[in-house]
Amino acid sequence: MSEEDVPPSADATDGHLHWMREAMDMAEEALAAAEVPVGCVFVRDGRIIARARNRTNELRNATRHAELEAIDEILADATLTPAVTQYPLSETTLYVTVEPCIMCASALRQMGIKEVFYGCGNDRFGGCGSVLGVNSKLSHPIHAPYKAHGGYLREDAILVLRRFYITENTNAPIPKAKGNRVLKTDILPRSSSGDRD
Amino acid sequence: EEDISALDIQISVYAHGNAQDVIPEDELPFTRIRLVRDDEEDELIAINTQPAWVVDVPDARHTATMLSWLKKSGIETPTMSHLKRIRKQDGSLTVLLALTPEYPQVPALPDVPGLSEPYVVHVPSTVALTQVSLKHKNTLWPTVYAPRRKGEAEEWTRGKALWACKAMKRVVEEAQDAGRRGELPITAHVPIPYEKETRDAAQLPAPFLAHDTRMSTSHPLRHAVLNTIRAVADYRASSSTSLLSTPTPPPIPPPTDSSASIPLPGAAGTSRFVAEVQAPQNGAHYLLTSLTLFTTHEPCIMCSMALLHSRVKEVFYLTPMSRTGGCGSVACVPALKNVNHRYNLGRWRYLKGEPGAMADERSITIADDIDA
Repeated sequence: MSEEDVPPSADATDGHLHWMREAMDMAEEALAAAEVPVGCVFVRDGRIIARARNRTNELRNATRHAELEAIDEILADATLTPAVTQYPLSETTLYVTVEPCIMCASALRQMGIKEVFYGCGNDRFGGCGSVLGVNSKLSHPIHAPYKAHGGYLREDAILVLRRFYITENTNAPIPKAKGNRVLKTDILPRSSSGDRD
Repeated sequence: EEDISALDIQISVYAHGNAQDVIPEDELPFTRIRLVRDDEEDELIAINTQPAWVVDVPDARHTATMLSWLKKSGIETPTMSHLKRIRKQDGSLTVLLALTPEYPQVPALPDVPGLSEPYVVHVPSTVALTQVSLKHKNTLWPTVYAPRRKGEAEEWTRGKALWACKAMKRVVEEAQDAGRRGELPITAHVPIPYEKETRDAAQLPAPFLAHDTRMSTSHPLRHAVLNTIRAVADYRASSSTSLLSTPTPPPIPPPTDSSASIPLPGAAGTSRFVAEVQAPQNGAHYLLTSLTLFTTHEPCIMCSMALLHSRVKEVFYLTPMSRTGGCGSVACVPALKNVNHRYNLGRWRYLKGEPGAMADERSITIADDIDA
């Protein structure tokens, strides 16, 4: 996990949590659409310029993560990306419910993202330190590193993922009742530094 | 004047002789990049696992029924081939249904009396390469023992080498063409598989090929590999609209993998049964499973991970990207610990003593700080 250089003020944390709640709404939308519940918002000049969630299932494309969906939206909008530039996100901050995967972490660096805030870490694919430090540790000949901060609404992010994995299979011909399933709600604290719990 | 294409020379070399002949490792048109040492997984803690759906079958007489149902159900995928279907433990019998990442929804069960609800256990992600590893892996789930023969795994025939050379030639030609039209000369290509079994399993009726379009679209992420993955996905999505349940390839599993199993149990008596099994579907042609991708340049970190998410079988590239590449240069994404899939890697090479060996590569040179 990435570390904070300076602990943010309470006001700053409130601001980040505000945006993260918006990202969490997108994760809920993904869950409702039977997609892996990860959501994100991109914030520029104090307003959300794009919001997105996973669409891997619908599009049969394992690369259609929330971040890449939002980036396409931003680049397709001439008011948000008026001129061709190498780093269209240099004044934009990402809030995403789960640590960006290695693919998205690299995409964000190629797009020149300003900063990233995320909910929970990602032990399998995390690209901001959990599996590979694509955001800053990995060297790149031209793209600047960016900071990624975890732990914002972490428990909510974990719980929405767990809910996904015990959801009824509503696509089945006869959906099965899963009333006897127990949603595990205990969450172990993060062991690494930079923890916000 | 034109330089001689080394790929043309290779094609002519492999075009002669018996297509069934096995080509010795050092005469193949590529060098394999080794991802893991065999003894690396001898420690129990080093074993990569992934969640899978299983079901308890209390009456052993129903095993055959379950297995034949499973065959027809379509939820099995080639990525389960390293796992045995049945686990016998302490007198109880459990059947493996599907890998959760490929089939996140609870599988519907056949009308067999006494089955438990499906539940999730963590199973090994790969075959056992050593006896020690086999012993460890069997404690999680019975696993196939497949020691590597000296050197490496899969044998290549002359016919398959020719197939690969032609695929790489196609990639280079397309990249040259893209370069002439003002794009970066980077191309990726998923040909129709060489082996018939793979062709049948992959259900890919046509080759897919895409070049880099970040110049013409003013989009920094329109890389050749991502464009190719999208082309295959669009084809899959358009050709399978009538599925009852859709395979979800969850790119991000819940970060709770540390526990041995996710508690999704159910009292056996509460099962309801689905009378008609769904027609065989999705599993066999899941994303890029069992497919090979050829590309002009070593993919960047983003594209290397996109290929992992897409479960590609193997990737061959012509030009290494020493400062940006994610398949062996700056990082080796398919060799990372924890990731839930590995693909094989091959770096193209020319045969010894070949004239004009660099002509193909020169025609598609890009700056070394570009993410291919």
